[in-house]
Amino acid sequence: MTDPVSAQIEAEGRPHVPPSSLLPEDAVLRLVRVLKVAFPHKGFPDGPYERTAEHIIVTVSGNAFQTAQLGQGLIGLDAMRDTPFGDLEPAEALAVLEEIAYTPFFALLRSTTIVFMYSDREVWQLLGYEGESSDKGGYVDRGFDDLDWLPEPRIEELA
Amino acid sequence: MTRFENSDSDVVVIVGSGAGGGTLANELCQAGVRVVCLEAGPHLTADDYVNDEWPAFTQMAWTDMRTTSGSYRVAKDFPNLPAWTVKAVGGTSTHWAGACPRFRDYEFAARTTYGDVKGASLLDWPITLADLEPYYDKAEIKMGVTHRHGRPPLPANNNYKVFANGAEKVGYRRYATGPYATNATPYDGRPASNQDGFNFQGDKTGAKWSTLVAELPKAEATGNLDLRHDCHVAQITHDATGRVDGVLYFDDGALHKQSARAVCVAGNTIETARLLLLSSSPQFPDGLANSSGKVGKNYMRHLTASSYARFEQPVHMYRGETMAGIVADESGLDTERGFVGGYYMETLSLGPAFLAAFVDPGAWGPRFTEIMDGYENTAGLWIVGEDMPQPTNRVTLNGDVLDQHGLPVPNVHFDDHPNDVAMRAYAWQHAAELYRAVGAVGVTDTPPYPATHNLGTCRMSERPEDGVVDRHGQAHDVPNLFVSDGSQFTTGAAANPTLTIVALAIRQAEHIVEQLKVGAL
Repeated sequence: MTDPVSAQIEAEGRPHVPPSSLLPEDAVLRLVRVLKVAFPHKGFPDGPYERTAEHIIVTVSGNAFQTAQLGQGLIGLDAMRDTPFGDLEPAEALAVLEEIAYTPFFALLRSTTIVFMYSDREVWQLLGYEGESSDKGGYVDRGFDDLDWLPEPRIEELA
Repeated sequence: MTRFENSDSDVVVIVGSGAGGGTLANELCQAGVRVVCLEAGPHLTADDYVNDEWPAFTQMAWTDMRTTSGSYRVAKDFPNLPAWTVKAVGGTSTHWAGACPRFRDYEFAARTTYGDVKGASLLDWPITLADLEPYYDKAEIKMGVTHRHGRPPLPANNNYKVFANGAEKVGYRRYATGPYATNATPYDGRPASNQDGFNFQGDKTGAKWSTLVAELPKAEATGNLDLRHDCHVAQITHDATGRVDGVLYFDDGALHKQSARAVCVAGNTIETARLLLLSSSPQFPDGLANSSGKVGKNYMRHLTASSYARFEQPVHMYRGETMAGIVADESGLDTERGFVGGYYMETLSLGPAFLAAFVDPGAWGPRFTEIMDGYENTAGLWIVGEDMPQPTNRVTLNGDVLDQHGLPVPNVHFDDHPNDVAMRAYAWQHAAELYRAVGAVGVTDTPPYPATHNLGTCRMSERPEDGVVDRHGQAHDVPNLFVSDGSQFTTGAAANPTLTIVALAIRQAEHIVEQLKVGAL
């Protein structure tokens, strides 16, 4: 945790993940495994996946039905093959998720991840997106036109 | 702050403060007309805006409950979000990008030019390009449009460099960084762009024209504008003679009446049609000004699509003015391509949050993460073209679902016309060729977003039986009722609609002032 973005995220603290009798004790770990298969970014460390997993659990915590669906889904994945989901080879784990992609369990997980994980500041940094710019005076002096692998194009309309 | 009495029946009421309503308000106030402008949303300003896509969306977007139906993909992916427009003072002019092409002459005569396209309800506008040209000039000068009337062009940003070089390589010639309604140099008391890259999240500098920063402050300075935010109009009322006499609106949960000499509706196409339908009465049983049955029908959303291309080297498409790049070569009429109408290509960029949500809604897995992992090296463009009006594409009231005020929500039904499908397929293919010509290693065809261009539900027509309003946007059935937004578009043309909405509002204001002078209103 030496880079400023990670340090800032750490300083802001993690959300409180409420325990629930409807979820397995290792729900976060199980969710992280699913997310890494469903959203397999090569360069991502565990942090964004863990924060997303925790966010998903917090999101459903007020809704017993969704919490039960999440718990059932995580446990049910282990029954899809002879080997528990967490021990499957990546290609086989992906095949399992493709089989259950239409379930409310997976739809909830997918849609929540799309909204949350790609707003994560560390993810932005990993993808090469700089986020807020107005507070830095925009990009007028910070590379809005620094692409140099193509010729400078005409900007005026043809006469 | 000017405040007129609710019982003051001398005022003109404008519903909505966006490109149409806000411009009309200023034009009327400058001419000495007293105006009450009722805006459903809050009064957000530059300090409120955030450079973060989801929080900005939550802050600005019109997210009141709506429903959808029909075969278009938005109904499946975003069933309660048919349109991405703004609920705030300044309306959708606070989140538009700024592209300002004019209509072409034949686009005002789509029925005559394109002929009888099966399934389409094409109709010629009751006005011509020549009628609108003086007002296009006024609108461009008002908005400080680049490349026009001596206004300098914006410089090339990174996304434009890829776009323009690709265009040149495939033989397009009509490309430029505008016309675009954001300042390249200071103009009208507003600064030059600092290329901060945020448009859809609100403009924190004021470099971009919007009614929030350009029209409404000038209108307020006259003392003739009473601008009321967080006031949602529920119904337009009329007297026994069938002339409108005011509006009922919710403010802080309570219903109020504002009297009016005339009412101008500019709530953006879905809400404008909904309001007329909500204003039914024994005299107007099918909705106000709806003897033609056209209110809500012929809803258009422009043919849209996007193309995102990945390269081996960095692009940083998010830096700089989002849409300051236009290719017009495909905007003309050439039925050899397999469709009528034309389309523009315009640079476009989304941040990771919105790219993830919209690049291929519902996607996940390695194919999806490959797109996201290429973010830094990605260039993007938007395809905006003329879609075919169809009577079955329409806004209706959904009485089964009520909004926070207890009013039936609008349902938006939409099916693509075969012409739309053919144009989109052609456009995707040619956009991919443009990018491959400069080295794209992967190109994604992105389907339409929730509609930002919403048009046609109160179409302008020469004959009262063919449409809702006449050549001035004045209702055929009700002499002191006007429609002042994109709802009046008879057909959609290929051009982004804001410039034309502003031109029509300036023209309509002249007409209203003239009618007031002669005592007709």
